[in-house]
Amino acid sequence: MRSRAYARYIGRRLIFAVLTLLGLLALVFLMVKLIPGDEARAAAGPEATPAQIEAVRERLGLDAPLAVQFVRFAGRYAQGDLGTSTSTLQPVLADLTAVLPGTLELVAFAMTLSLLLAVPAAAVAAARHGGGADLATRVTAVTLGGLPTFWLALMLQYIFATRLGWLPISGQQSFEFFTGEVTRMPVLDALISGIPGAFTDALRYILLPAFALSALFMAQTFRMLRATLLGLMDLDFICAARAKGAAPLRIMLRHALPNALGPILTLVGMQFGLMVGSAVLVEGIFARPGVGSYLANAVAQKDTYAVLGTVFFVGGMVCVVNLLVDILHLVIDPRVRASQFHGEAT
Amino acid sequence: MTPRLYALRIALRGPVSDLVVIGLVATLVLLALAGPLLAPDSIYRSDILNALQPPSAAHWFGTDDQGRDVFWRVVAGAQASLVSSVLIVTGFSAIGIAVAMVATVGPRWLDGLLMRLCDIGLALPGLVVALGFAAALGPSLQSAIIAKVLTGWPMTARYLRAVMRETMTAPFVTGATVLGVSRWRLMTRHVLPNSMDVLVVKWAGDIGTTILILAGMSFIGVGAQPPSAEWGAMIAAAKGYVSSAWWVVAAPGLAIALTSISFGLLGDILQVRRDPNLRSKR
Repeated sequence: MRSRAYARYIGRRLIFAVLTLLGLLALVFLMVKLIPGDEARAAAGPEATPAQIEAVRERLGLDAPLAVQFVRFAGRYAQGDLGTSTSTLQPVLADLTAVLPGTLELVAFAMTLSLLLAVPAAAVAAARHGGGADLATRVTAVTLGGLPTFWLALMLQYIFATRLGWLPISGQQSFEFFTGEVTRMPVLDALISGIPGAFTDALRYILLPAFALSALFMAQTFRMLRATLLGLMDLDFICAARAKGAAPLRIMLRHALPNALGPILTLVGMQFGLMVGSAVLVEGIFARPGVGSYLANAVAQKDTYAVLGTVFFVGGMVCVVNLLVDILHLVIDPRVRASQFHGEAT
Repeated sequence: MTPRLYALRIALRGPVSDLVVIGLVATLVLLALAGPLLAPDSIYRSDILNALQPPSAAHWFGTDDQGRDVFWRVVAGAQASLVSSVLIVTGFSAIGIAVAMVATVGPRWLDGLLMRLCDIGLALPGLVVALGFAAALGPSLQSAIIAKVLTGWPMTARYLRAVMRETMTAPFVTGATVLGVSRWRLMTRHVLPNSMDVLVVKWAGDIGTTILILAGMSFIGVGAQPPSAEWGAMIAAAKGYVSSAWWVVAAPGLAIALTSISFGLLGDILQVRRDPNLRSKR
């Protein structure tokens, strides 16, 4: 009974993920069709000969009806053929998988920073509702939430690296600590290399980009969590805990926060995809190789097929993460499980 | 009373902090309308001898690499940035309203289909998809606007659909149904006007976030192109020499932040006015 309810929930989520991927494919196909001019010419690159253009036209099957073209297009993408970049001359997928670990590490650091700062701030703001700490954290959150990510990155870089010289301007690690690329995650590589000082060196490089990337999301998490916590504070079980004489700190840590975990998890899952997308605004500024700087470069080089391949890649990754978050939600939140047993829609 | 008049009426009473926000928004709107007229012609010409001057009495925010006054370029750029954002939000709100109406009036299967489409749209990273559309259309401010309109509507549709479902249960709707009013007339005359106030609230907040996304798209290079005075494009053009002239990057960024924050706060204010229970929780 229990496993059947689980299977039904996961099955529904799987179907939705597949539908989302299909929708994404349709969108990217539409983008390809929107590119002005001759598609074959664009795909073959600016320096292609007429014979090469004809070969590309043949290969892409551009003479077939639109529906047939879409099926072929979807088939190619499903097999991982996201086209060839006209600037790196490599398959887009190979380019992306090479730089993905770097972006994932940056996003992981940004997410950690965001949660480390936003969760305690929200807990304090909710516990001292209406007080000075509440006001101060709220003003900070509103300000952080309104700053353009790329501008914040440029300004942080200027202030803390160029002017004050506290942190490195750009790159991933200092020359003397070159640690090789095992995982292609610079901080992790530095950690496993065992070279003394390499780890802190890599950390110093990732701090500014991670903070710039996290600011907007930090504000979002803070606002959402504060509102959730304030909503919980009015509920009976908090009232009961208070009546029993539990200290405010204990009420927050043992009663309120655990109940706000579900919404945080959903938000973090959603933010993951958005952060990978926002990396396009940050990575280039700090000269870090990644999915974002690859996308920004492709735009600058007018390498449109690489742009669209990256759009699909990032979108597809977001679908998978959403699916995982939904499943994780089932594991950590008993209310989601309960709604499954009673056959309610979630 | 129409929702817009209603919004205006409630806007003009309330605490001082609310009035400050409303004043800021009004100033920004005025600048967006009149900015290009106020700015001197010299901002469209290069004056290389005066390049990269730091902020001074003559040039409040200094000058850029072409010797153009940064303050007046920011003022002139308010039009491109703010008007575009208003256009975008109006555009995708219109699509969202249409989708929500069809979903509410139409048969159940259509409702389900449209809402699943919205869910799919919401599950995808908005900036990246909009960037793809704009890149495909060819980089320009128009492309960025079209791209954002095409990708922005699902949230509005989903939200308004939920509000309309609630409105549909109101006694006056039941009354109209009993009187034999057609479903379409019921929608346009009774349900839609009584669901619109939430949209006015959302509209203000949406402009705040759209400004940020549009500036980001211009910065990456799929939106407004330099030498346009659009704020994102100004930062993109100046990022190469930020170490020698920080003010050329700082000024347009502050303008974006100020606009985004003002409209975001306006959204919050309107929301609290609509539902006073939220007052302490925003």
